[in-house]
Amino acid sequence: MEMDVEIVCLEIRDEYCMSAIRCSDLCKTFRQGEQVITGLDTVSLSIDAGEFLCLSGPSGSGKTTLLNALGGLDTPDSGEIWIDSKRVDQLSKGDLADMRLRSIGFVFQSYNLVPVLSAQENIEFVMEVQGVPATQRRLRSTEVLAEVGLAGLESRLPAELSGGQQQRVAVARAIASKPTLVLADEPTANLDTHSAGQLMDLFVTLNRERGVTFVIATHDVRVMGYCRRLIKMRDGKIVSDEQQEPHAMAQ
Amino acid sequence: MSVTWRLAWRNLWRHSRRTWLTVGAMIFCNVLLVFLISLQLGSYKMMIDNTLNAFTGHAQIQHVAYLEEQKMRQSVPDVAALAASVRARDGVAAASARAVAFALASSDERSFGIQISGVEPDFEPGVSSFPGLVSEGRYLSAGAQDEIVIGSILAENLKVGVGDELTFLGSGLDGSFAAAVATVVGIVTTGFDEADRGVAQVPLSWFQQVFAMGDHGHVVVMRAQHIDAVPVLVEQLRVSLASQSTRTVRDWDALQPGLRQAIASDMASAWFMYAVLIVLVAFSVLNTQLMSVLERTREFGVMLALGMHPGKLARLVGIETLMMSLLGLLLGILVGAALTGYLSVVGFYYPGMEEMAARFNLPDRMYPEISVLSLLWGPLIVFVFALLAAVYPALRLYRLLPVAAMRAV
Amino acid sequence: MSATNTLLTLAWRNLWRNYRRTLIMLAAVSVGVWAMIFMTAMMRGMTDQVILNSLNLLPGEVQIHHVDYRRDPSVANRLPMPTGALLTALSAPPIEAWAARVRVPAVVASERDSRGVVLLGIDPATEAELGSLPESIVEGRFLADSNDRGVVIGASLARRLETDLGKRIVLMSQDPANNVADRGARIVGIYTARLQGSEDQFIYAGRAAMQEMLNIGESVTEIAATSHDYRLLGAWYTQLVGVAGPDAEVLPWPALDAFTGSMLQVQDGFALVFMVVVFLALSFGLVNTMVMAVFERVREIGLMQALGMRPGLIVLQLLAESIYLLLIGLLLGNALAWLTIKPLESGIDISSVAQGMEMMAVGSTLYPALAIQDMLLSTVVVLSLGLLASLLPAWRATRLDPITALANHR
Repeated sequence: MEMDVEIVCLEIRDEYCMSAIRCSDLCKTFRQGEQVITGLDTVSLSIDAGEFLCLSGPSGSGKTTLLNALGGLDTPDSGEIWIDSKRVDQLSKGDLADMRLRSIGFVFQSYNLVPVLSAQENIEFVMEVQGVPATQRRLRSTEVLAEVGLAGLESRLPAELSGGQQQRVAVARAIASKPTLVLADEPTANLDTHSAGQLMDLFVTLNRERGVTFVIATHDVRVMGYCRRLIKMRDGKIVSDEQQEPHAMAQ
Repeated sequence: MSVTWRLAWRNLWRHSRRTWLTVGAMIFCNVLLVFLISLQLGSYKMMIDNTLNAFTGHAQIQHVAYLEEQKMRQSVPDVAALAASVRARDGVAAASARAVAFALASSDERSFGIQISGVEPDFEPGVSSFPGLVSEGRYLSAGAQDEIVIGSILAENLKVGVGDELTFLGSGLDGSFAAAVATVVGIVTTGFDEADRGVAQVPLSWFQQVFAMGDHGHVVVMRAQHIDAVPVLVEQLRVSLASQSTRTVRDWDALQPGLRQAIASDMASAWFMYAVLIVLVAFSVLNTQLMSVLERTREFGVMLALGMHPGKLARLVGIETLMMSLLGLLLGILVGAALTGYLSVVGFYYPGMEEMAARFNLPDRMYPEISVLSLLWGPLIVFVFALLAAVYPALRLYRLLPVAAMRAV
Repeated sequence: MSATNTLLTLAWRNLWRNYRRTLIMLAAVSVGVWAMIFMTAMMRGMTDQVILNSLNLLPGEVQIHHVDYRRDPSVANRLPMPTGALLTALSAPPIEAWAARVRVPAVVASERDSRGVVLLGIDPATEAELGSLPESIVEGRFLADSNDRGVVIGASLARRLETDLGKRIVLMSQDPANNVADRGARIVGIYTARLQGSEDQFIYAGRAAMQEMLNIGESVTEIAATSHDYRLLGAWYTQLVGVAGPDAEVLPWPALDAFTGSMLQVQDGFALVFMVVVFLALSFGLVNTMVMAVFERVREIGLMQALGMRPGLIVLQLLAESIYLLLIGLLLGNALAWLTIKPLESGIDISSVAQGMEMMAVGSTLYPALAIQDMLLSTVVVLSLGLLASLLPAWRATRLDPITALANHR
């Protein structure tokens, strides 16, 4: 078992060596009735592969908008986004979807599992769409569920799992395709302290052992304590960008 | 079963009541269609059979102008021999020669102008249902001379019964005065006024004597082994009659053009009703699938965010609709077949229908006729329209933006 | 009162919260209602034609014969010309016209051929009032008066007899003593009719001339009366029964023409069956919509209950929503039916199936008839059954437990 995990890890490092993100002069505005709201205001940022980064700031500061732009969920009004050597903001909707499907994992605030599918099926469903053959789907989904600590709960429906467990299924779903980048939007917002801690430990482990780049938008101080780089945003601008020593370390 | 199919199936039952109501609409419509189409096809067949049995047979050989003008001199020579040669052909079940004339029939008390037919007593039962419907007395005997069989209403109007004599006055083929006396040997009751008022049959040989027809007659009536074989038979006969330009072969459609048209117009009004039902069911499916797509906007948003193509989601909705429609199709056919099957045995009656039925040579009780066609026709169309109804909800998925969709309640 | 007003406003706004669903249901109800009325108008148009055609053949909505005449249509069974009470009754409104005629089966012979026909000995003046004359005279003229010694025959019969205007034909029938009564007559006119069958069947001659030929003095075989509205067969018919005398049989048209009579009955029954069937197809969608509306608003309904709203008011609110939907659907459906039927009332050409229609005694043009009563019937059917269908989901809504309902997260 130990050996297996080791091999998987090595494989991953070999497959996607590094994934770096670079964006420059991103602007995005929204309309809300008469008002024009600034989502992003000339944001430039460079993230190296393997970073563990937090975007923080109050509601409406632009952190979710930035996250969505980086993940290709939303297109900026102007500016450029590069992931590795690929210009992302000019890709078609279909190519963006492919990129998300294969190389980016998403974790959302509310776990967003399909209520009528079991934990395992939720993961297999995404893999099926990725075109993974059935036997591999079964193996890999069992594997990632074990990795997020949910072995034995594969056949539970989301409603039969706690919030923390559901969020871990969502993480398992996000990493099942071995993405190099995980984008998480307020992943702990609905979780109690214990579950939040477990989730962050999981993130740190994945980051450390797999080299997965994590970008987490949050205003939860418990989460900020885990990251090595903290970017603060306000009114669509980056107001500070600091390296830090993680002070809440995995146990 | 892949996860997509499993997901589609479970999604159907997230609102089981809604799904059942939609499936119920399909079942209702399908059962109705199976029943009505079976009834329609059954009654058309009966209408054709009864009408052709009573009057025209499957096809006739006659003078080219006879159908239009029905004049005595538009005759066919050596008609009995011609009938015999037709009878000898493959695919012909029966053939009989007839001659027709107009005459004033008088009993002791009453006189009526009637159309009198000379028939071959030996062969007429093969092409017509009348000989089997003699309610009093007997049918014409083989080799008989001055015998006559008449319809029951005609008998009543003439005030004659079996054993009474009837006098005929008319004109022969050569224009000579034709007069004769015949004894009523049988009375035919068909239940159809037109026939009961009109039937008057005498033996052909005697008819030819009385009306100075020689060996002439007017038509050779025939029945094919099966009604579907009529076109082929008619074609063959046409070829063999090609040398005689005054004779022609007419199939039942040409002899009774009203029949097919009555069926066509009935078909048209029936299909109007079917179309309405099908459209309403399609609306029902559209409503359900649109609701189910709209209420899952958030879920679909997440799937899009995870990188799923809208096409995959549309396919999911398509599969859901397919499953729902299949359910409606199967249950509809099952229940429809059971109900129609039952009614095809015990029959079915609509109050006040007798007179209408009689006008179209139908019995009072209707028996729907189940066939593969009548079972599948309606439900398959409902099925197709149900699938089409899912197109709009499925297309909406292409307009979904992941960020906005995830924010939706 | 104001609480009810608020409730109705609330129901109205709720209806448009899920406007797509409402629009689809509206479309379904409108199409359903349109179909109900359209189909019925078509059927009614056809029935009207059948009846009018057969009344034209009869003609007259009420006919008086000798009691034995219908079984034995011979001049032996004849009646005297109306006098006294019968004459008074026939001249009183609402009877607008009446005519006495000699109607007997006969044989007609030209020099080429002979045929069985029905001979109508008429008085052109009174028949014109009755509206029973042939539709159009294509050659020659119609009979001048009761004493006219000519005959008017159908175009189709003329072809079959190979005769023509101005030629002589021989009419043969029998007198009351069962002697052959015959007479030569000149064809003074040729008519066409809607149905080819009637062209072949009826020959018109002067009544007095026929009475003379048949040797029946002043008597007739048929007296026909009309009020010019065949659907209203009321008291005047029974009045005639009272004064017609013991030898006479007074019959209204449904009894005279069983096919047509039953057709009208079957049609009325079928219109209702059709409407109910269409409604049932609709009802699934309607119930569905209501069920979903309740489902979506479980929390809201729970809140209302928690605030102390009586269950009756909740039912009322939901029913109001469905009534709004049905009323708009009815309005649209009726309007659509009116718009589609009105332009068609000048007639739809169905000559491609004319011979089939002739089996049903319909001519080659169909005139749809938009009847107020059908529009009303569809409204009654849709509203009453619609309310019935909405009752269950609405009632279920009131069975919700407010606490559970409020705790329900979507």
